[in-house]
Amino acid sequence: MAIILKKICMIGDFSVGKTSLVSRYVQQSFSDKYLTTVGVKIDTKLVTLPDQRQAKLSLWDIAGSDTLTSASMSYLRGAAGYLLVVDGTRRPTWDAALQLRDAVTKQIGAKPNILLLNKADLTEQWEVNDALVSQEREQGSTILKSSAKLGMGVEDAFTLLTLRMLDAN
Amino acid sequence: MRTIPLSIIKYVHAWWMSELILTYLHIDHDGVLVSWGGHPRHYGLFNLETNKDAIEQIPFLEGFLPARYTEIIEFIKVGSGRTAHIHLVPFRGGTWVLLFDATAEHDRQQRMQQQLNELSILTYRQTRLLQELETVAKQLQTDKVHLEEIAKNKGQLISNLSHELRTPLTSIASYSRLLEDTSNQDYVLNVKSNANHLLALIDNILDQTQLESGNITLQVGNCDPRLLLKELRTIFAPLASEKKLTLALQATSQLPFTLIVDELRLRQILINLLNNAIKFTISGKVSLILDWQQSNLMFEVTDTGKGISPDALEKIFLPYHRETNQQNGVGLGLAITKQLVELMGGEIRVKSMLNEGTTFSGFISTHTGMRYDNDEDADISSQNIKVLLAEDTRSTHLLLVTYLKESGYTVLSAYNGAEAIALAESEQPEIVLMDMQMPIMDGYSATRTLRERDFKSPIIALSASDLIEDREAALRAGCSHYLRKPVALDILLNIIKVLQA
Repeated sequence: MAIILKKICMIGDFSVGKTSLVSRYVQQSFSDKYLTTVGVKIDTKLVTLPDQRQAKLSLWDIAGSDTLTSASMSYLRGAAGYLLVVDGTRRPTWDAALQLRDAVTKQIGAKPNILLLNKADLTEQWEVNDALVSQEREQGSTILKSSAKLGMGVEDAFTLLTLRMLDAN
Repeated sequence: MRTIPLSIIKYVHAWWMSELILTYLHIDHDGVLVSWGGHPRHYGLFNLETNKDAIEQIPFLEGFLPARYTEIIEFIKVGSGRTAHIHLVPFRGGTWVLLFDATAEHDRQQRMQQQLNELSILTYRQTRLLQELETVAKQLQTDKVHLEEIAKNKGQLISNLSHELRTPLTSIASYSRLLEDTSNQDYVLNVKSNANHLLALIDNILDQTQLESGNITLQVGNCDPRLLLKELRTIFAPLASEKKLTLALQATSQLPFTLIVDELRLRQILINLLNNAIKFTISGKVSLILDWQQSNLMFEVTDTGKGISPDALEKIFLPYHRETNQQNGVGLGLAITKQLVELMGGEIRVKSMLNEGTTFSGFISTHTGMRYDNDEDADISSQNIKVLLAEDTRSTHLLLVTYLKESGYTVLSAYNGAEAIALAESEQPEIVLMDMQMPIMDGYSATRTLRERDFKSPIIALSASDLIEDREAALRAGCSHYLRKPVALDILLNIIKVLQA
């Protein structure tokens, strides 16, 4: 069976944990040190899905911003899906994610996406409350919680997105 | 003009080329890698194979092939390779991809961006902390005001209370001394009235405390409102006649004969209102009307007293509020009244004109009960009525016996539950007064036994306990009424009269 190549973009405000999520997913590693991403960093990962289908994911970790820059617009080209990442401890990153989703849809059309509430290891500091989340879920959004630090919910998010991208074909 | 030597130009060229690390990829119009050159490994591209699909080998090309116009994609970093600016140049249907090293520029920008982002996060956290501090400060301020208010009220309460307790206690002490020498009836009455005043005060404070902590639950039962009016008349008629006031207590014809309501609390509400009305009226009239409208018991207490100023009206239902220091009490009566009315699903309002009088009116939510005939004006004789009194405390026993005998009842005495049962069965009294706490057999067991043996006469429980559980236990055991000790004798006699009817 041919391996399908799929491009996934990581989108969200700065310092929400996009690089850490990719690093956890691809290298199973995590660093507490924050290093900002400039431009885009591309990693690949070969995945075998629960149904034994295989996919080669090209993961585009795009520099964080609360708006879609002209550079990130070009990085989005050819993306089959994307993860919108929110830092649960900073409410503005939630609002940014929702705005970014609209901008991305305008740019590349509706694509499978998952909103990831990251830093679930710091829930005591969370500013994104359950009411907001339920309200957004009622609108049909897929929202998962993750912690790149603990490795929680990371694999699931990528697997689910991959399945959705394959099924969207 | 001096020329640069060729060796220097070669050195500069070599250095420049090495810094740029120029790498190129040529991809045809079918997306196949035709050729490549330079140092793709520097950019994270390994094992490139010509004549194979380019996108599969070069992940950043997804979505960019074939190039239609020259395009630059900045700062792309593949894996752990160096960062490149990628130039896509269309050529004869295919694409030339040129990679220029941008690591130095990337690192410079990254340092700048890193500082900006860290500063931004720091500012955000600082703002949030300040907001939190502000919230906490506000909360603390509110708490402080609240606590000060409580402290002030408690202080006021203690000061009022001390004063209130001291005056009647001094009076009781003085009159008691006088009693040693003489048996003047006025002195006895004075002692009684002061003692009652103290009891009422303490009851009010206890009620307010329980209301504040939400510990009062309503004990709903049958209540005859006309009988209640009669009782109130018994209580207030002497006071009104002493002040030469007209006392009018009326029920409208709509008022049902039985209401399902907490009679104790309803009585407390009306006593508080009537008590105030009589207290603040020098001449004229005090009236109470009970009416029935839309399943509500309507009440209205009107006086022709000195009235209340508009400022005072606003605070009249506040606990511990007293308009003047000359006023008796600790300022709880109306606060308790309002809370009780609301607890009973009702409302209370006040209207007043200075020097003309005051009206407290409102309603409580209740239901009608079974109607039973009650001849209001029947003069019920106590002749030949046997009352069995079971009470182990000798002083209380004697007091009650004396009082009952004075009122014309024949009293049978028992000092424990077992004696009570024996006497009840042999003498068949019309009424039983049963103390709940007695030696040998307590009132609960005695009552239960009598009911099991089909004893039909009313049994009035007497208990020092104010606990709802005890009241319920007594009623469950078979008591018809529950009276708390010390028992107000006029109320006890009233109840006996009602029960024998």
